[in-house]
Amino acid sequence: MRANVWSGRNTVQVENVPDPKILNDRDAIVKISSTAICGSDLHLYDGYIPTMRKGDILGHEFMGEIVETGRGVSNLSVGDRVVVPFPIACGNCWACRHELYSVCENSNPNAGIAEKFFGHPTAGIFGYSHITGGYAGGQAEYARVPYADVGPIKIEDDLTDEQVLFLSDIFPTGFMGAELCEITGGEVIAVFGAGPVGQFAIASAIMLGAERVIAIDQYDYRLQMALNRAGATDAINFAEDPDVVEQLKELTGGRGPDAVIDAVGMEAAHGHGALHAVERVKQATRSESDRGHALRDAILACRPAGIVSVMGVYGGLMDKFPTGAFMNKGLTHKSGQCHVQRYTKRLYEHIRNGDIDPSFVVTHRLGLDNAPDGFETFKHKQDECVKVVLKP
Amino acid sequence: MGRKAAVTVNRPPDEVRQLWSSSGHRPQYIDDAEAAVTFKPAPGDRGTEIHVDLAESAPGGKLRGAVQKLTGSEPLAKVKDGLRQFKQHVETGEVPRSEGTPEGESLERKLKQRPAQPLSESEREKVGV
Amino acid sequence: MPFPPRPVDATLHGVVDYSAGAFLLTAFPKLAGIEGTRSARQVRISAAVHAGYSTLTKYPLGIVKAIPFQAHLALDAVGAIALAATPFVTGQWTKGPRQWLPHVGLALFELSSLAITDPTGRGDYHGDVEAVRSANTEDPHRKIYNGAPAVTPATATND
Repeated sequence: MRANVWSGRNTVQVENVPDPKILNDRDAIVKISSTAICGSDLHLYDGYIPTMRKGDILGHEFMGEIVETGRGVSNLSVGDRVVVPFPIACGNCWACRHELYSVCENSNPNAGIAEKFFGHPTAGIFGYSHITGGYAGGQAEYARVPYADVGPIKIEDDLTDEQVLFLSDIFPTGFMGAELCEITGGEVIAVFGAGPVGQFAIASAIMLGAERVIAIDQYDYRLQMALNRAGATDAINFAEDPDVVEQLKELTGGRGPDAVIDAVGMEAAHGHGALHAVERVKQATRSESDRGHALRDAILACRPAGIVSVMGVYGGLMDKFPTGAFMNKGLTHKSGQCHVQRYTKRLYEHIRNGDIDPSFVVTHRLGLDNAPDGFETFKHKQDECVKVVLKP
Repeated sequence: MGRKAAVTVNRPPDEVRQLWSSSGHRPQYIDDAEAAVTFKPAPGDRGTEIHVDLAESAPGGKLRGAVQKLTGSEPLAKVKDGLRQFKQHVETGEVPRSEGTPEGESLERKLKQRPAQPLSESEREKVGV
Repeated sequence: MPFPPRPVDATLHGVVDYSAGAFLLTAFPKLAGIEGTRSARQVRISAAVHAGYSTLTKYPLGIVKAIPFQAHLALDAVGAIALAATPFVTGQWTKGPRQWLPHVGLALFELSSLAITDPTGRGDYHGDVEAVRSANTEDPHRKIYNGAPAVTPATATND
């Protein structure tokens, strides 16, 4: 089959690889109908995540049709249309029983490697380096799905692929980011980053009843999408004025937002030229892996006793974390890789009811063979790119 | 010098003790080494803690330890892998296989991963699936 | 294979503009052994002018963003050539290598840094936008600007 594989920094190639087969009784094989490129894939592409090997198939947002099931899978049949969550979770361990699927204790066969980086292993993830198990990803024609009795959600409605594909990752991730803010109605939420996850965080905050949602980004077209389609009430373009903390104070009557969501992660860009230049040099020499501009600003901007909800992916260490601001303002920090399986049913219901149409983030539909150009276009935000969907 | 390892399994202590002694999933290495294995109930609803204490059984001292760490045969790392696999068998009925580590977790694979793409037919035969 | 991208982006160019400018205004003349001569004055004036229009450039380290970055690069080139030509125009080059070598050296440094500066702001993009546009089945503009809101407020709960 054809698959999009990692071939070194800034290089992906579509190559011929063997078709996947059942390895364990609880596996299923999915024939992929649609898959997408994630912002976190760019951290792999840019070479910031260690333990990548040439030939690793990328992609953790995919859906399609079941073509084969292992003996241990009774809830799915051949021909079922499913969306596959990106964390691989066994369903039986203490973590899975408490709906903490992205920290499943059993699904990472490279637990020893992950332990060295994080102190404890976390769940396996499709196509996301060997720290998360070295599982083949979904930017391909077929994929093997472990624990298929736990993860995949069956789609039985007449919805298009693009309306349900994002249940695999970005919609639940944005939703979890907003849910962690403990919105009860009437809050002001600031969302750093108006990429696809940021768009869903904004949309979810609106769905959860926030009164004002402020989108922050450096690209006007992404802020337009946030305002017109995702429901944001205000927008800040930090390329025009890099003092985000001050602008947020103005928009909130001097108080600061009640909660902030970091939907940016380790490759933050920033308007403060000199500090950004220093951090770029540090990253290039690998003396600091994570750029923390967005997180720093989020902590400084959040109102005292507010919540900092971090869904942006970080991999290693950042310099200059504002511990003083964090501690003295009494902030609550919540984060995590999304526990997708916890949200899929609920969010599927919202899509069916018409409360949200997730396909609004899609700006580019390409064939799988265009994946390399798709990656470049997505990385450099060319042609007003927000989300790229690939069709094998 | 790291002689102890522990894992928590999501089952009551009696069941775990029984599975440990009767099933074929008890880590091979623990039988070979002279290890003290104890079972304790874990707090709350967490199940059972299995504690393994490798006796002072490795002659040759520090140099041997360093060599073992490099060649991937370090006893404690093997015990940890074995404990994890026991937990996976008991809780899920199988050991997770990835394309990078198709045999399930092992020291050798940590040093040399397959690329994360499907196995060919001959590779699958070698792994035994 | 695409031509290797120019590694110096506008931010890095700005860092060099200001730090080289500061160095030229202060320590350089003494180190080059031209302190007190008209060469020192010429170098200092050109550094001051360069730093001056840098603060007025539309790039991350500009203060009043007035001059387009490409115009700034053009001024850099013109200034470098002018600095290199000065000793020959004034005739001071006959007074020995110290009265023209620094000018020519600095001009060469400036021109080579221009050769590796990326003027387009495209950075290291090496994809094919046209291929993406023609492979794309939808017009992105339409979706972003003209679409209806995709979310209905207050339809979810926090449990």
